[in-house]
Amino acid sequence: MLAQLLAQVAAVVGVLLAISIGVFVGQSRLSTTRVEWRSRVRDAAPIAVVLVLVLLFNRTARETLPSLSWSIGWNLTSTFYEIEGQTVLLFQEYATPELTAYFSYVYVYGYVFVLIFPVVAYFALSDTRPLRELLTAYTLNYTLGLLCYVLVIAYGPRNWIPDLVETTMLYNQYPQYQELTGEVNHNTNVFPSLHTSLSATVAMFAYRTRDVYPKWVPVATLLAASVAVSTMYLAIHWAIDVTAGLCLGAISVVLSRRLVGRWSLSEEFDDWWPSLRRE
Amino acid sequence: MRTTLAYVMNWEPPDSNGGVSRRSLLAATAAGVTVSTSGCMDLVQGTIGQDNSGQLSLSITTVPADGDREGVQLARALAENLEAVGIDVSFDMRSPLEFHRAILLDHDFDLYVGRHPGGIDPDFLYDALHSAYATESGWQNPFGFARIGFDELLERQRSTDGDERREAVAELLRQLTREYPYPFVPICFPDEFRTVRPDRFEGWDARHLGTRLGYLGLEPRDDATELTVAGTDSRPSRNLNPLAAAYRGRGTIVDLLYDSLVTPAYGDDGGEYRLWLAEDLDWDDASVTVTLREDCRFHNGDALTAKDVAFTYQFLADTALGRADVPSPSPRYRGRAAAVTNVERHDERTLTLTTKAGRAASERALTVPILPRDVWWSQVEDATDQNQSISQGTWDVVTGDVPAIGSGPFELEDRSEGETVTLTRFEDHFTLREDDLPGPTVDRLRLTIDPGSLAAIETVQSGSADATMSSLETHALDQAREYENVELLESPSRSFYHVGFNVRHAPFSNPHFRRIVARLLDKARLVEDVFDGNATPTAVPVTDEWVPDDLAWNGEDPVAPFLGSDGELDVEAARTKFESAGYQYDSGGNLLARY
Repeated sequence: MLAQLLAQVAAVVGVLLAISIGVFVGQSRLSTTRVEWRSRVRDAAPIAVVLVLVLLFNRTARETLPSLSWSIGWNLTSTFYEIEGQTVLLFQEYATPELTAYFSYVYVYGYVFVLIFPVVAYFALSDTRPLRELLTAYTLNYTLGLLCYVLVIAYGPRNWIPDLVETTMLYNQYPQYQELTGEVNHNTNVFPSLHTSLSATVAMFAYRTRDVYPKWVPVATLLAASVAVSTMYLAIHWAIDVTAGLCLGAISVVLSRRLVGRWSLSEEFDDWWPSLRRE
Repeated sequence: MRTTLAYVMNWEPPDSNGGVSRRSLLAATAAGVTVSTSGCMDLVQGTIGQDNSGQLSLSITTVPADGDREGVQLARALAENLEAVGIDVSFDMRSPLEFHRAILLDHDFDLYVGRHPGGIDPDFLYDALHSAYATESGWQNPFGFARIGFDELLERQRSTDGDERREAVAELLRQLTREYPYPFVPICFPDEFRTVRPDRFEGWDARHLGTRLGYLGLEPRDDATELTVAGTDSRPSRNLNPLAAAYRGRGTIVDLLYDSLVTPAYGDDGGEYRLWLAEDLDWDDASVTVTLREDCRFHNGDALTAKDVAFTYQFLADTALGRADVPSPSPRYRGRAAAVTNVERHDERTLTLTTKAGRAASERALTVPILPRDVWWSQVEDATDQNQSISQGTWDVVTGDVPAIGSGPFELEDRSEGETVTLTRFEDHFTLREDDLPGPTVDRLRLTIDPGSLAAIETVQSGSADATMSSLETHALDQAREYENVELLESPSRSFYHVGFNVRHAPFSNPHFRRIVARLLDKARLVEDVFDGNATPTAVPVTDEWVPDDLAWNGEDPVAPFLGSDGELDVEAARTKFESAGYQYDSGGNLLARY
């Protein structure tokens, strides 16, 4: 079942990528990429390696961290509920089957697409700085997010008020998706919403690169907003998690901008071994 | 040769002496706690400067909807009414594993809402309520309940049989509900449903799917050789120690890995139990002589002999095997095994168990898993050699993931955390030699873990599994009914939802307080709202056949009727109750913590 789902996600996202590369990136950028890809890979490699390591660590930590959190973390589900009450139920009022389907697909497919496409799009630029900053921002999102997950144990609305969110709860409508998300995350990890923070990161980058990819800005913004709303509509996150996700996204973007270039490994590489740079 | 369990026999129900000293100890502890809490309150008051921070605060421990969608709703309903009467309520939401650790092992809770496994026989109340177990970790008396006189009632039902026992149970329940208000309030018995696929196997309805027998004797169609079941509890994939209280729910997988002398049969073939590892039982007044089946083996190839049986009872009474200053009883099976006071070995296959119980409770004592002596002995040696401190119920031997070597019809092949548990048929199992016993009919039994009942139903419906092993949560029943290629199977239910109180501490150390809180629950309404009617409300924790007429549900709770009507709490009436029990309200309507 899981393999089938993964194949489905890969197929859908693959089609979306193909279309959007055609629409947003264009033929001429692809041509230059074919020529310059080696140097771009070399520029981005250090941070890409760091990101991959963080992701791998995330994956192994998924099994061990929950027990660490239980011993040192704060259990905040009912605190969240006390603070924000039934805010997430606001979305229930506008629930329709079509909207539920839309947000479910956005949550699963849209999210994966919105994370992968900018990597491709920025790789297609001769200036690798946006790409390096983006990968740095992703790394920061995952690292800071993981830290919060260890410190805060909280269950999302679906785990707390299942009766009130019955009609839109993602896993009621599409129980198979729970297998998929269960592979990626643990149910006590809701603060902050990484779905929100990463999508917001992408939207902020889209705005900053609006001169090169003007058409991507509205699409990224719409998708990021939809992902953020979907997490509440589908009763996966509290409004607090989403707010924290937005903050985390903003922090990551600001930090990545400052960090990239400051301790640039590849540039130091260049200074010491300029010969490597030559093709 | 003779094996005497000296220190097992040493244990006696607390008489006036032992009981009083232990109880006074308890009282002293409770007093200490009260004093320290009130000191803490003062501190809080001083620091925050709230003028009314003397409000009583309680924390409800429960599991999230992923673990139990109905339980969390019950908890919220209770919280709403507690807040209405002026109590500050917070929640302690925990994963099923952490929930059981907090309740059963650490006793770290005010009150909790959860499911009790219940019992095929009311003797489970002995484990649940005997004062001798009030300080132990495990399923035995997690509430810390201890009342003079009540233990005698527990002893009486244990030592009697037939009509006399029925009356003893009735009296026990009356006293429990009237004279000694509950350390826990039973809410309802949820209906137990599972989905099964009839296309690959037949005979699903022959035996209860909450027991080991349910997965034996199934008839494969078209040469099916692999049975796959979908479960919603991931704990078996993490730990298969039969004694680990926090990891075990029904323990069906463990029951397939381990055998017991007799096995619960739910009256499938007439009686409550049927012979299993025991080929014959010869009952005498206060003893039973057991003849084991010929040539039984453990999964590691060792012979299973009377020595292992004797060891098991000794071990359950003291998992430290005499290496600690005091016995360290097992956190599971402790109460039922305590009915056995002595074991006398005659030869490899026969032994006599002396019991301090009637026939019914003695039979129940024969349902514990028989453990391989050599394997567990070395576990204990390893743990003590490493100078591990032996803390009852929580040390490594009874909580760690010990090698799953039993003698059961299936042996462990493989396990992947959170995903699957794979068992293979144990070819040496006696059921494969005895024609009249249901045995493993498949080469392999696979448990796949799904995140919830709906996903588990999908797994069965799509053909990836043949049945759901966990009973379905109520919200998933409609979905299960919609599918045409799966059948919905109902089984007798003995497990019940309840609210458990920690009576070691205020305010639940006060029986008046407990009685009023019990009356904040509109059980009939909760059954309708939370379970869509797929549950039976109850005043007592035992199934119908044991409930005396005066305690039977008669449209409302005969013991603790709801303080209100149609789900609406009569707040004034409830507050008046608290006041007449000596509690006070401040001007803001908050219930004060002074008691």
